[in-house]
Amino acid sequence: MIILRFLARRLAYSLVVLVGVLIVVFALAHLVPGDPVRIALGTRYTPEAYEALRHASGLDRPLAAQFVSYLGHAATGNLGVSFRNGDPVAQVLAERLPATVSLAVVGIVLALVIALPAGIYAASHEGRLSDVIVRVTSQFGVSIPDFWLGILLISLFSTTLGWLPTSGYRPLFDDPAGWLRHVILPGVTVGLVAAAIMTRYVRSAVLEVSAMGYVRTARSKGLPPRVVTLRHVVRNALVPILTITGIQLATILGGVIVVEVVFAWPGLGRLVYLSVAARDYPVIQGAVLLIAVLFLAVNLVVDVLYALVDPRIRLS
Amino acid sequence: MRRPPMHAGPGPEETDMRLVAAVFAAVLVLAVGSCAPAQRINLGRDAGYLIAAISGEPDQLDPQKTSAYFSFEVLENVFDTLVEPDADLTMRPALAQSWDIAPDQLTWTFHLRPGVTFHDGSPCTAADVVYSYRRVIDGKLANADKLSAVTDVTATDDRTVRITVAHPAPNLLTNLGGFKGVAIVQRRNVEDGQIASHPIGTGPFAFVNQRSGDAITLRANPHYWAGAPRIPGVTFRFISEPSTALAALQAGEIDWTDTVPPQRVAQLRGDDSIHLAVTPSNDYWYLAMNEARPPWQDVRVRQAVAYAIDRPSIVQATSYGAAQANQLAIPQGNPWYTPYDKYRHDIDHAKQLLREAGTVPTAMDLLVTSEYPQTVTAAQVIADNLAPLGIRVTIRTVDFGTWLDEQHSGHFDMLMMGWLGNIDPDDFYYAQHHTGGASNAQKFSDPRVDALLDAGRTETDQQVRHQDYAQAATLIADQVSYLYLYNPSVVQAWSPRLTGYEARRDKAIRFRDAALGGARP
Repeated sequence: MIILRFLARRLAYSLVVLVGVLIVVFALAHLVPGDPVRIALGTRYTPEAYEALRHASGLDRPLAAQFVSYLGHAATGNLGVSFRNGDPVAQVLAERLPATVSLAVVGIVLALVIALPAGIYAASHEGRLSDVIVRVTSQFGVSIPDFWLGILLISLFSTTLGWLPTSGYRPLFDDPAGWLRHVILPGVTVGLVAAAIMTRYVRSAVLEVSAMGYVRTARSKGLPPRVVTLRHVVRNALVPILTITGIQLATILGGVIVVEVVFAWPGLGRLVYLSVAARDYPVIQGAVLLIAVLFLAVNLVVDVLYALVDPRIRLS
Repeated sequence: MRRPPMHAGPGPEETDMRLVAAVFAAVLVLAVGSCAPAQRINLGRDAGYLIAAISGEPDQLDPQKTSAYFSFEVLENVFDTLVEPDADLTMRPALAQSWDIAPDQLTWTFHLRPGVTFHDGSPCTAADVVYSYRRVIDGKLANADKLSAVTDVTATDDRTVRITVAHPAPNLLTNLGGFKGVAIVQRRNVEDGQIASHPIGTGPFAFVNQRSGDAITLRANPHYWAGAPRIPGVTFRFISEPSTALAALQAGEIDWTDTVPPQRVAQLRGDDSIHLAVTPSNDYWYLAMNEARPPWQDVRVRQAVAYAIDRPSIVQATSYGAAQANQLAIPQGNPWYTPYDKYRHDIDHAKQLLREAGTVPTAMDLLVTSEYPQTVTAAQVIADNLAPLGIRVTIRTVDFGTWLDEQHSGHFDMLMMGWLGNIDPDDFYYAQHHTGGASNAQKFSDPRVDALLDAGRTETDQQVRHQDYAQAATLIADQVSYLYLYNPSVVQAWSPRLTGYEARRDKAIRFRDAALGGARP
């Protein structure tokens, strides 16, 4: 029951956050200089065509009226249609979401697979050569520009070895093998960069817990080092690790534009970027709304997991 | 000290929470696939389709409404016009098999090709032609200026269209067929609101589907009036990163691309594994000074700037040499080309002109846009070029929407931009240089130029028309209404497997005669 009350409260709180996000996005999108109607007409602008299109898109109404009607429609799942091509925004987002979630899941799993062992290993060998190697490598990984890493991976695995496709995307349930072949290179690019950041967090979290009195007690009562590390140290270091994992996951879900561009990946990041450039308000608003929902969902999962790994944390 | 329990079996609450976590995880994983588009058509390399990579996604697929080149790259293969440009850009029959012009030059009668059908099988008749033109004219669509001379369009029978014009219109054919912005569309497709996302045309390929951010697939139209294409279809992929597109071509994943890194052109020329085409285009890039603002209204000040500009450096910086410097708009090799080389890089002469003008501008606001990176790059060379004259150039880089606003409201001293997709000389000059012209943002006005451009619109003697435009172009450059810089090249690369395709100077991408031989590497 506690969990249900918690979820209900979080849901209400999330709705407030979403409305707030929408207000900010709505205001920002309209405050940014540049007129979507003029952009749509481009160099073929005439005053008559301008007025006609402006009226047809509802942009000649007061901003507050536009916002209220947007909210009303959004509440029923109608996110409007794109200014550029009249496609329903909800449908465009539904087409982009699987690619973004694919990339995020593969990237974050890979990052965890690398960062957890590397961070724990480095922390338990603090100051030794292996620790230095892990630290230098992760520093290197943090500093690498992701587009450069992506192009490097393409030239090695696609152009030279011919093992994997350079770019593109296949839906998981249409073509699982194709999905896997296409997701590997962008997934590795995103995963390696995230792993570099997360390794440093895992290492310092583990180090911090290792200095605790109960760890010393566990050691002095003769538990083998491996048991101490896994059962006492890592379990207690999980909370900060979860935090950084959640942040990384949410960041990738919000769009990794550079990686999406390099691998021609049809994710949300490129959609937002192009829509901002075209001042396609409905798509910008819908995409930011979706990204905010993903952020809140990840946060919620992380909060629930906090309580799971550390019973001292109450869901309240 | 209260010591937290280190390990305990799952309590009732924990089970709850684990369940919730598991459900969330499941939802996340399901989201990967559940929203996948309904189409499960696996058309692609296995099906023998030609895979072409273009550098961006079409904004919409309504040929009469889009102004994006990415859209036209695709739609060139889906739609037809009454007439169309051949390789030399002279107009030849397309949907219209032939046409007659009345002796007074005011009535054009087009005879449509028999048996042409839309991709859904319905016939394409004179009524569709009338509907298409009326939609552009009555809807005041962006391309309405192409039909500005037209006073009436009627179907006299199913296969005959009569167009009347207000005055003799020597460029009518170019305006009707120069590009797919005045394509013949299907009324039902427009009226049910589908044309922007599911266009139906009469062209060599039919639209199948679009995957947002990924690709558009077309399938061959076996009933195409000029003969069924030899390939079963074309998939246009959107790859905006040139290194990736080139890698994909070299790896054999794609067969054709126009996303070629300019800095690699020199190196690729010697590469036998791909075919590289570098063709001069009819596009041009220019500078324009705001003649509504002093001191730029003084022709000597504008000429001083023209003498200070170093064109070869700008071409090198923007295009790595894969472009042709030009002091006029129309490139060599085009039938409308006029030789002109008044200006040279000469700082002393520029200073002399400024002295004569009696005003030395000290600051210049140069408006460029990140949408076209060449303008940003060129701006830096230009700032450097103008420094010896004592002009301090402030480069203002804005996004395209802002750029258009600023241009329209005259908030600039100088701007750099290009005109793309021009065929008839009227496209090159009228809107840009006629007094009060729709695109005359620099506020240039010269009665002699106006008279010549007006005459060019009605002159039916080709030789006289050529002279009119040569004279107008010379005046425009002499008085620096535009300071023309260069014609960029069409740079395309394709696999040696691809035959029956040529790069065109109007940048139309036509795959109707393409064939794919051999296996992918």
